[in-house]
Amino acid sequence: MPILDGALKVGLDHYLYLSAVLFVLGMIGVMMRRNVVVILMCIELMLNAVNISFVAFSRYAENVNGQVMVFFVMTIAAAEAAVGLALAVTVFKKFREVNIRFFEHLKG
Amino acid sequence: MLTSTDFLFYVLAFISVFFGAAVVIARNPIYSAMSLVITMISVAFLFGALDAWFLAGVQLIVYAGAVTVLFVMVLMLFDLKHEMKTFSKGLLGNGVKLIASGVTLGMLLVYIWSTYATEPTFKPLPPAATSSIKATKDLATSLFTDYIFAFEAIGALLLIIAVGAVTLSRITGGTHHADS
Amino acid sequence: MSNTVLFAILLLAPLIGFLFNGLRWKSHNAYLAGTVATVAAGISFLCSVVLVSKLFGEGAVPAVSAKFYEWMAIGGFNVTAGFVIDHISAIMVLVVTGVGTLIHLFSIGYMSHDERPSKYFAYLNLFLFNMLLLILGENLLLMFVGWEGVGLCSYLLIGFWFSDSEKAAAGMKAFITNRIGDAGFLLGIFTIFFLFGTVNFQEIIGRVSGVPDLTWTGPVTLACLFLFIGATGKSAQIPLYVWLPDAMAGPTPVSALIHAATMVTAGVYMICRLNPLFLMAPNVLNVIAIIGAATAVMAATIGLTQWDIKKVLAYSTVSQLGYMFLACGVGAFGAAMFHLMTHAFFKALMFLGSGSVIHAMEGEQDIRKMGHLKKYLPITHATFFIGWVAIIGMPPFAGFFSKDEILWKAFTSPHGHILLWLAGVIGAVCTAFYMTRLMALTFWGKSRVPESVHPHESPPSMSIPLIILAVLSVVGGWIGIPHALGAILPGHPGNWLEHWLHGVILEPAAHGAHPSATLELALMGVSVSLAALSALLAYNFYVTNPERPAQFVSKIRGLYELVYNKYFVDEFYFARIINPLIDASKGMWAYIDVNFIDKTTYAVSDVVRGMGSAAKSFQNGNLQQYAMYIALGVAVTMFLILR
Repeated sequence: MPILDGALKVGLDHYLYLSAVLFVLGMIGVMMRRNVVVILMCIELMLNAVNISFVAFSRYAENVNGQVMVFFVMTIAAAEAAVGLALAVTVFKKFREVNIRFFEHLKG
Repeated sequence: MLTSTDFLFYVLAFISVFFGAAVVIARNPIYSAMSLVITMISVAFLFGALDAWFLAGVQLIVYAGAVTVLFVMVLMLFDLKHEMKTFSKGLLGNGVKLIASGVTLGMLLVYIWSTYATEPTFKPLPPAATSSIKATKDLATSLFTDYIFAFEAIGALLLIIAVGAVTLSRITGGTHHADS
Repeated sequence: MSNTVLFAILLLAPLIGFLFNGLRWKSHNAYLAGTVATVAAGISFLCSVVLVSKLFGEGAVPAVSAKFYEWMAIGGFNVTAGFVIDHISAIMVLVVTGVGTLIHLFSIGYMSHDERPSKYFAYLNLFLFNMLLLILGENLLLMFVGWEGVGLCSYLLIGFWFSDSEKAAAGMKAFITNRIGDAGFLLGIFTIFFLFGTVNFQEIIGRVSGVPDLTWTGPVTLACLFLFIGATGKSAQIPLYVWLPDAMAGPTPVSALIHAATMVTAGVYMICRLNPLFLMAPNVLNVIAIIGAATAVMAATIGLTQWDIKKVLAYSTVSQLGYMFLACGVGAFGAAMFHLMTHAFFKALMFLGSGSVIHAMEGEQDIRKMGHLKKYLPITHATFFIGWVAIIGMPPFAGFFSKDEILWKAFTSPHGHILLWLAGVIGAVCTAFYMTRLMALTFWGKSRVPESVHPHESPPSMSIPLIILAVLSVVGGWIGIPHALGAILPGHPGNWLEHWLHGVILEPAAHGAHPSATLELALMGVSVSLAALSALLAYNFYVTNPERPAQFVSKIRGLYELVYNKYFVDEFYFARIINPLIDASKGMWAYIDVNFIDKTTYAVSDVVRGMGSAAKSFQNGNLQQYAMYIALGVAVTMFLILR
């Protein structure tokens, strides 16, 4: 089965499929989970999905620029997690719960 | 025929999708966090499969190590073993969210299929380039020459974030002056 | 100095005075404020004298003018901020600035105890400025600016003591009544622009066709009718005269300046200014003559019964204005201007005299509480006496010449009629009666002054204007001695005024035989002797036999009540016009406004509010909903791109 064989042969597209699936999974989580900490995890998941496509493109194009971008994304992700969790802690102190709805109070 | 690398990809892809779904679905946040660790580890291996050895290492250390530990520690601090409700309310809203996500996913998959499925797959790299030392050196060179400004800016950002996170944590609670 | 500079000083002096006093309107210093205002008016007077002198003697020009700038140019509609002194406006500007200066001077003494003298003088200067705009403006639009400006100042000054609600209401009444006339004036300007394509007096007069408009709805007739409606408002003619008697609520010098000498004559002035146009509308001339004669008689009869010294003078003013309109109506515009000038002298004199009396009586205006004041107020009495003989038309005082000129023209002019002459004579007889009555009750007879009041003669700043005006009331008429009289007088003085106005004021084309000088002298003798008889009768009534008026009144009780209540015109207006209007407005408010307009706006606001809350629900702070919008946007965008 050459067609199936060609389809099963792992290439750039497979990594991109994986990246898309993980990204949408994270997106669903962000939109639908109630727990702020879990939402932050889902954001990490989305960022990871993007990282996969970066690295895959980097490998495909045979240069390191994609990897540099991943490096930056990781840094930002770490920073975002730190701030997000600090906010979550603050909200938790106030309401003893970390429901995303409590962030409504952040609006003016 | 599937090569061992291809086989490894399918296994890792399955693991990461499975546990990625678990992150979203699990009722217990701790399970979500653990699933996230597993997903990240498998992603790290995928980086390795793509010859990005340095990033694979960073992924393991920063994500699977530091960030996830941070999540778990916060969860421990909150002491939330079990959520009363996993998902947000609103049947219509959730439906719209799922439909939007599904459409996005479908679009992405169709686009990737139509654009990249016919492309030739990865060319094998020359033997010298496959060595992790050479790849890491290339990355470092790029980082410290072409992207030096962004790199320094990221460093400053991290410092600011560190200070900000500490400041936020010191607030006793409440989002308005009247509340505190 | 060039004409432009002189005109600028002439106009700006009162404006600067207004700004000076207006900016320190809380000041109590009547002498500083009054001095500044008087000096400003005096500078205007000097400038106008210099300018008018250029119309005389060697190298005399028909008119001096100055154009300052182009006010507006819209298509073919060009208006220049230009001012002109010709033979008509020369009379007016001298009267306004001259009498105005005297009244400013008089006001210093009169207002010295007032709380807000600075404000008063500021208004007075502003009035003078606007009046000068009205007089000197070379086009109808500038005149209209002044017209509205003097209306505003009149309102402000009538209601000067606005803490008294009755006085404030009088100001309101004057303003609103004037608005009706102003609307007519504005319509007249529109019609004239439609007719001639210009609002410049010179150009209008140049473009008037020589063919009289004999219809009632022709454009010239309509234009003149509208302008005359404007004039009835400003110059207090039937049916819009009702505001002037109430306007006496203002300070007395204001009554003298605005409501006797200057502003109320603006309507007459405007008609004289446009006399070639009015001559082409004989129907309107008839209307003007009839209304003028009717006003003259009606106001004079009301004047017979009033007890308030200023009200008597006010009705007298309305009546004399009626004479001026009568003169205009019979085409004797020169006589109208002549009477305007002499009336300004003697009526300003009488108002200032009454101001002096009121000042002496510590604010009392009821002549029943006066009497025998000549003992306390010799100067006021002497000057008032001169005003009295002038107004009742005794030769050789000013009123005689101008009034008889009008009566003569009413008799002989092609637009005249014997009935108009008769109305004029009846008015003159009434005038003689009520003026003698006023003199008798105020200055002669027994004193009815309350014990608590100690009348005293006014300070020189008040008596000097009186004396000057008294002199003018004597000699003012001598510039217009009729030919019939001049022929028999020693030295044969000519009718200088007629000569002066020749060319700028057209006489209606006479037809038939030239009336004889004997007839003129005979008519003159009739009216003078009737007026003298009437005055004697009044003297008999109020001085010799003070009990007789009451007996007489009791015989004609009904008629007396009718006249005493001013023919119930105010009541009629209230019952038939004002109250129905108020009711209609209330109805509009209750039904149309509340039920329709308000509900429409409520509906609109509800729709907007509903849309707002719908939009608000998108912005509810729910972060996951925001994320949903992002996802939707991504989905839609990708769909659009990858389609």
